[in-house]
Amino acid sequence: METLWLVVLGVLTVGYFALAGFDYGTGLLLPFRRRAETLHRMTPFFLGNEVWLVAAIGVLFAAFPRLEGELLSGAHSVFTLVLAGLVLFMAAVQLRLWWWLVFTGALMVSVGWGLLLAHLLEAPWPVAFAMPVLFAVHGWVFQTKNWKLFPVTGLLCALPIPLAFSSIYTSGLMAHTDTLGLLAWVAVPIIPLVVLLQWSIVAISSR
Amino acid sequence: MSAVDLARLQFALTTSFHFLFVLLTLGLVTLLVIMQTRFTITGAPVHERMTRFWGRIYVINYALGIVTGIVMEFQFGLNWSGLATYAGDVFGAPLAMETLIAFFLESTFLGLWIFGWGRLNRWVHLSLLYLTALTAYASAFWIMAANGFLQHPVGYRVEGNVLRLDDFSALLSNPTFTSALMHVVFASITVGGVFMTGVSAYHFIKRTPEVDFFRRSLRMGVITTALATPSLIGAGFAQFPIIAKFQPDKTEAAPWIGAPLGFMIIIGMTLTMVSWLTLPLLIKDAVIRMRFPLYLMVIGIPLPFCAAIFGWVFREVGRQPWLIYGLLRTEDAVSHVEPQQILLSLIVFTSLFVLLACVDWALIARAVRRGPDVAPAPVSPLVVTL
Repeated sequence: METLWLVVLGVLTVGYFALAGFDYGTGLLLPFRRRAETLHRMTPFFLGNEVWLVAAIGVLFAAFPRLEGELLSGAHSVFTLVLAGLVLFMAAVQLRLWWWLVFTGALMVSVGWGLLLAHLLEAPWPVAFAMPVLFAVHGWVFQTKNWKLFPVTGLLCALPIPLAFSSIYTSGLMAHTDTLGLLAWVAVPIIPLVVLLQWSIVAISSR
Repeated sequence: MSAVDLARLQFALTTSFHFLFVLLTLGLVTLLVIMQTRFTITGAPVHERMTRFWGRIYVINYALGIVTGIVMEFQFGLNWSGLATYAGDVFGAPLAMETLIAFFLESTFLGLWIFGWGRLNRWVHLSLLYLTALTAYASAFWIMAANGFLQHPVGYRVEGNVLRLDDFSALLSNPTFTSALMHVVFASITVGGVFMTGVSAYHFIKRTPEVDFFRRSLRMGVITTALATPSLIGAGFAQFPIIAKFQPDKTEAAPWIGAPLGFMIIIGMTLTMVSWLTLPLLIKDAVIRMRFPLYLMVIGIPLPFCAAIFGWVFREVGRQPWLIYGLLRTEDAVSHVEPQQILLSLIVFTSLFVLLACVDWALIARAVRRGPDVAPAPVSPLVVTL
């Protein structure tokens, strides 16, 4: 049961970061590309990754209650930066008044995740710039339709933070099997369903 | 201010902002279900145009509401790590159900609904809206179940210094949950009705050429408000015996606690009375020809939103000094972080949320002013396709 929940959490975080490259990457590229067209290509993916993030934090809370609070409050300022960036990015993309606001939001989110990576690995702060660079490269691969490189850069975006998480020793931090067992009935069928539905959104919108 | 005070203030502000979006989302999706069902059955263009116009406003509000929801969710871990540590096994279960069954699916169904316009079979498309509405209500269900646990903890056992889940079904039959859920549901429907009435009235004040369109919308708004408010008030008063039984000190938690409760009740009564008085005036469009009620309808839009916030202030402040009633004190649940860190995030989020509420207002106002027929000008990226 414990392993199952580690896998569920892993899948959800990988899902978020794999999809994050589409929109934050696009945001980071805005100074260098034709903006209306670039943003338009991102539309079907917009908000698609954030739902994975929400699900991941929900699972973190219920299945790893003793880890969630310590992890989040232990990096209070980093998460404040990530969340402020998220708010700014999503509002700016919707508002579509100033492209540099979209860029700033995307930069704040991705540097924020980079700082979390540095925090988890206990690495020096310049490591933080790995995430914006990876997101930007993935965004560029997506925007230029370089489908050969696409899975590679996708994986590169998806893996660093979940891998850094795996260094945390979770024994004793997880919920009781009563809670885990109950939630398993929900989590296991839902995730493939969401993958299928999100894939349909992209398929329909490109028709 | 201490870390506890700052964290509480931040929670109050974040939750209030978030709930404004939630109310409109739930209210509008309910009305959209009716509109699109009528369109799918009759095929009449006016119903399609209504679904599109109100759907556009709904999508703008939903997409910005998500943002506030994400901050809400992180906040538990950021500022209230003691809650997860102590009660995560129990309180986390409905919360995780909400993110997985409700929100995760809801957003995905909505995405398919948005991008499926004109590309899917219309019955399939309608069923996507039904699924979106159903999962939206499921969201309210699970969140209220989690909140009900904080008001009156049930279904747990104490093991060492943490709570364990003992009986999940007890969480779902918790009296502080079931009565409040109905209250919240009817509050959302009231918000939808009042909002629709007000927006339609605005178009009549501006002498819209879309008379039939907004006449139908106004009628729908008034009738919805008139039908929802009596149940809203009933579900509200039904909570008093439950409060008296499980939280007898609620009305003494703060010296001013009666004020928000009183304002909420006055607003609820006013909306009930006014909507029922308006019903006979719908005959032969008397209310539109009289003109002056139209102004009241526009001014009335914020009222149910305010009432809902007052209601939450009463419910949550009235629970103090407990976070989980009788089990965990609020001051014991706050994270071990510097007050300055909480202050920083408080300032950052509050200013961003004020900005967000303004953006929501501006985008909705833009969509409202443009009326039902728009060239595909981008109001928001998701709305382009609608």
